[in-house]
Amino acid sequence: MALQTPTNEYEWSVELEKVGFVRRLLGARRWYGADWWLVAISAVMVLVFIILGLVPSLLAPYSPDVQVGPRFLAPGASPDLPVLVSLASSGITELGDLETSTGDPRPSVGVVRGVPTAQALNEQAQALNEQLAGTDKELRPRIVRFNSIDEALQAVADGTIAAAVVQSAEYEDLAENYPQVVEGKSVTGESAAAGGFLLGTNQIGQDVFSRLIWGTRIALLIGFSASIIALVLGVPLGLLAGFRGGKLDRLLSIIMDSLYAFPGLILAISITAVLGPSVLNVIVAIAVLYIPTYYRIVRGQTLSVKEELYVEAARSIGARSREILRKYIYPNVIPSVAIIFSVNVADAILTGAGLSFLGLGLPPNTADWGIDLARGQGFIQTAWWLITFPGIAIMLVVLAFTMMGEGLMEIFNPKLRER
Amino acid sequence: MGSFRAHPRTTLPFTMSPLSLIFLIIGVPAFVGLAYIFVRGSTGLRRYILTRIALTLPMVFILASLVFFVLRVIPGDPVSSALGPKGSPETVARLREQLGLNDPLILQYARFLGSVVTLDFGNSLTGAHRPIVDEMSERFPATLELVIPAAILSLVLGIFGGAFAASRRKRTTDYSLRLYSVIIYSLPIFWLGLMLQLLFGVKLGWLPIAGRIDAIAGTTLHHITNIYSVDALLTGNWTALRSVLEHLVLPTLTLGLILSGVFVRLTRINVIETLQQDYIAAARARGIRERVVIYNHALKNAMIPVITLIGLQVAILLAGAVLTETVFSWPGMGRYLVERISSRDYTAVQSVITMFALFVALISLAVDIIYSLVDPRVRY
Repeated sequence: MALQTPTNEYEWSVELEKVGFVRRLLGARRWYGADWWLVAISAVMVLVFIILGLVPSLLAPYSPDVQVGPRFLAPGASPDLPVLVSLASSGITELGDLETSTGDPRPSVGVVRGVPTAQALNEQAQALNEQLAGTDKELRPRIVRFNSIDEALQAVADGTIAAAVVQSAEYEDLAENYPQVVEGKSVTGESAAAGGFLLGTNQIGQDVFSRLIWGTRIALLIGFSASIIALVLGVPLGLLAGFRGGKLDRLLSIIMDSLYAFPGLILAISITAVLGPSVLNVIVAIAVLYIPTYYRIVRGQTLSVKEELYVEAARSIGARSREILRKYIYPNVIPSVAIIFSVNVADAILTGAGLSFLGLGLPPNTADWGIDLARGQGFIQTAWWLITFPGIAIMLVVLAFTMMGEGLMEIFNPKLRER
Repeated sequence: MGSFRAHPRTTLPFTMSPLSLIFLIIGVPAFVGLAYIFVRGSTGLRRYILTRIALTLPMVFILASLVFFVLRVIPGDPVSSALGPKGSPETVARLREQLGLNDPLILQYARFLGSVVTLDFGNSLTGAHRPIVDEMSERFPATLELVIPAAILSLVLGIFGGAFAASRRKRTTDYSLRLYSVIIYSLPIFWLGLMLQLLFGVKLGWLPIAGRIDAIAGTTLHHITNIYSVDALLTGNWTALRSVLEHLVLPTLTLGLILSGVFVRLTRINVIETLQQDYIAAARARGIRERVVIYNHALKNAMIPVITLIGLQVAILLAGAVLTETVFSWPGMGRYLVERISSRDYTAVQSVITMFALFVALISLAVDIIYSLVDPRVRY
């Protein structure tokens, strides 16, 4: 039958009962409007994060564990490179252009005192000079030292020196004062435009953006594995307790309730403290926290489904317990478990990040958002980007999973619509 | 944490550890109140309270046992890891004997349960080897000082935000408040703390970002309860009070904002549900203004389920406190726990977690009893 927008709330909830899973999901857009779009958007976000987590190596521009640039580079800023500047008319753009025939007067190159460009210049010039050994050419620039970059640039502009090697960032600030001087290549051969660092670099010169992308993997790994373990343990226990009842139920319930009431993070802290830092131990610690969540939901659902007429009917025609569980109770319990699962992944990711922020969960150099935040905290006065972006990443992942869970809950459980 | 050693003793005529003082301040009125309710209440209420207390004991017992056994399966020896490479085999053996680690497990377990009952946890394994109770009487008040204002802030924000959202249902205000609660839920608490530090501490320079009090103001403060704001008020030390309050703003805001999201959500749902009741329609029919209907008639009844959830939020509050304390170098119980874990001081770790368990159990007991008073339908 055609899905029409029903006029009142009662009608649409009846309509919704009649259509299948997929149509319900697709058709729901008409009634849920904003909520449906919320689910759709969050599902796309979740998908993106899963892709990021699966193939970070393809998407991250740099390796997360090695120094790839200067330290503390602000987001979007180009790294400060020692570049060669010279008169536009001289045609000198790279170090190799300074080579001369042996015996000719050596070109003079200016550097600024107290800036590490001189060392870079010397090293590179020597390396190039060695390549020229045996030919009648040489590359041995005469280094002239200046007190400030202004003096050096002025000297280049006046033509008293052939070229100067200056820090690119400082040069960019002054470039317009010396229109006749042009920026050449970096003497170290690195190019400023090589990818750049979208979100800057951290205190050991790692690319923040790459670490963010690699962090997705560990966050999702922890979130999914912990929730799956908790589900695998919690659901059967809940079914058993709810279905059998009696002493077993009471014993299990009191244990689960105690666990549930206890601050999860503190429990996880003590478990990881005992087990030691590793990804597996974090997963185990977080899984333990969420067993009661599944247990409570499943037990509650089982208790209410058990009283339904159809279960009584099945029992009266001689269905065995196992059959009742499998055919009647299990299918009724699963949708709520699926919803909890989504919210649970979000929660587990938050807890995992909290653990690694405290320095308790993961080995210290893992590319993980919590660890990055903890390490960045020491540089709060100077490097805002170190503590800003990993937090946004955590928030987006958690938001995606939470919104998906909530949206699904509204679509599958229309009676709870206002909840 | 050098500033916590050797602080000036109080000029009070009696000597008492801050921890027991706090327990007295909270415990005596609580006990009197309970006794009053118990004597005046109906039979059903009395039975409920008794059952509830009886149920708290196994909860404490289970949590304490869990803590004991989890920490006991440590691979490796707690004593040698606490002493580090400096510990000679003789020292390790002596300390093991002293701590009773060579006794049968069941005896250790009994001794541990005894220590829970008497709240005497022995001395810390590392550092200054001070009695753990002493350390806790410095740390626990700090946590209270953070947690109580944060809880109040989150309740006020949450309840009024939730009622406001419900009154503007399906309008922009409602949607933005719902969005607020979802986003707040997804924020890592430590990151919110860092962002507040960055904004108000670093960029604007308005507020301090670490510790409980200025070093200078700290030397002038007399420690009575170790809840610094109370101490400053009691002794009339206004400079110290100002410094304490300045240090309190950001941690309280962090913890309070994070918790407020849940309360906005809960209150909103419950007010919306209550607004569909007949008595609300009747009130509206009588021409009572909508604001009065929502805030007087509906909110009161909508609060009943919210109260039960306060009990559950205590767990989130304490977990949040651990992270907030770490971000703000706040010397409370949570930070103590993390510090002790990194120095592998398992006696202290065990005691702190047990204290947390006790705290949670007592709060949820209190909340349930209050709930049974507010809603007479709840009885066993």
